Amino acid sequence: MRETGQAMAEIAGGISSWRIWWMLGQSDIARRYKRSRLGQIWMTISMASMIFGMGLVYSTIFKQELGSYLPFLATGIVLWGFIAGCINEGAMAFIESDSIIRQTDLSKFTYILRVLTRNVLTFAHNFVIIPMVLLICGSPISWTILLFLPGLVLALLNLSWIAYLLAILSARFRDIPQIIQSVVQIAFFITPVMFRPHQLGADHPLLLLNPLAALLSVIRDPLLDIVPTAASYAIALGMAVLGWLLTLNFVRRYSRRIVYWL
Amino acid sequence: MAQVTLKNASVELAIYNSRGRGLKNEILRRAVGGSLEDTRDRSVTVVHALDAINLEVSSGERIGLIGHNGAGKTTLLRVLGRIYPPTSGEATITGRVSSLIDLSMGMDSESTGYENIVLRGVMLGLTRTQARALIPDVEEFSELGEYLNLPVRAYSSGMLLRLAFAVSTAVRPDIVILDEVIGVGDASFAQRAEQRLHGMIDKAEIMFLASHANNSIRRFCQRTLWLAGGKIVMDGPTDEVMDKYESANAAAAQEQAG
Repeated sequence: MRETGQAMAEIAGGISSWRIWWMLGQSDIARRYKRSRLGQIWMTISMASMIFGMGLVYSTIFKQELGSYLPFLATGIVLWGFIAGCINEGAMAFIESDSIIRQTDLSKFTYILRVLTRNVLTFAHNFVIIPMVLLICGSPISWTILLFLPGLVLALLNLSWIAYLLAILSARFRDIPQIIQSVVQIAFFITPVMFRPHQLGADHPLLLLNPLAALLSVIRDPLLDIVPTAASYAIALGMAVLGWLLTLNFVRRYSRRIVYWL
Repeated sequence: MAQVTLKNASVELAIYNSRGRGLKNEILRRAVGGSLEDTRDRSVTVVHALDAINLEVSSGERIGLIGHNGAGKTTLLRVLGRIYPPTSGEATITGRVSSLIDLSMGMDSESTGYENIVLRGVMLGLTRTQARALIPDVEEFSELGEYLNLPVRAYSSGMLLRLAFAVSTAVRPDIVILDEVIGVGDASFAQRAEQRLHGMIDKAEIMFLASHANNSIRRFCQRTLWLAGGKIVMDGPTDEVMDKYESANAAAAQEQAG
């Protein structure tokens, strides 16, 4: 009981040190582009050119009309970039903050929130591509788009436990970040980012067994004027609940050990 | 009210090499049983950095830590700073703690001196407004002038030290933890640094100072802990402990010479 309380205290402590992770997350982005002229706009430029380039090639390969394929691809790539960034960088959360961890008694969750902040900010920069593409392609827009917000909340709930769990494991086992990178790369190709789910067949096991597909669908579909399926919501919600229970269990058992692993 | 209580607090550090950290080993080992913290693996070296420390410190005490390199001084400071939770035993530390173990914590080399003042201030628990309010004080004390507008990667190590020291000592914690920070920088700065440290120590309720400079310990602390091999060899009034420590050192030196 006391230990469960400790795990909750870690989470609460992390959230309450918002000044620190908000500032560190911002300065992480600022540092990356400190000496470049266009600065953070580079993130958006490189992502936009990737989307247009891939749009031209894959709309031809998949025999899709560019006007309908481009919004699909743009939302997919931007959101996938966000998901992949949170997972990959989440695994490194404690390793990259080791000098701070070894000198302050901040809650470990602070460093997870730092990584998430950084990725949400990057995502916000890249997100401007989406309304542009939607407007250019004349995509339909309705109130369905508001479902994007609960979808984003669900995604964040999931990405936060994934990052937390991976960060704990990676601090102890330094092979994990490498493994995660390859897994995320493979996941990009087997998750409907570039191809449409029905091209694979809606009940293809790769789609049903891939939780990332559900996660992507609850945030992306509303942007494409589609209401996500109940199954996607159920998977995303179930994953958030189970994932957090598992992660809290790890936090309870290993949070005190993390500093010794760095 | 600041208060420190350690009961049988021990710290065992497991030093992993790449083999020890390898996942493959762990999986192989797990297959035959064992836990994540199992350290029977020969590639993991366990160091008993602190061994059953008992300590009671209350408000108003100034405590010195002495002992040879590797005696456990820094580890003890980390336990006191709530950075290392004891691997066995208990540590109860009440009060806001500020550790000056590595002065450059949270500094960002691409950011300017001014930005780093705010960055470091927030890391020490201030709001942004409070952190910005430190600027005039840091400007005056560090004497860095125009350099504060440059990214700190352009600083010499001495300049970086001035900046870090000025910011770190501008906050007012209940418990101050200092590791070998007395006598930093060039002669003129060292003198001013000591005055400033005095100010900080005076306002703190409890101070811990680890140092090899015996004079500073005698000057700042009333009580001293002598550590060796992760244990407290002696705990008492500074003069008594220091006299014993110095004569033990002298005897050891003589033995070596003879």
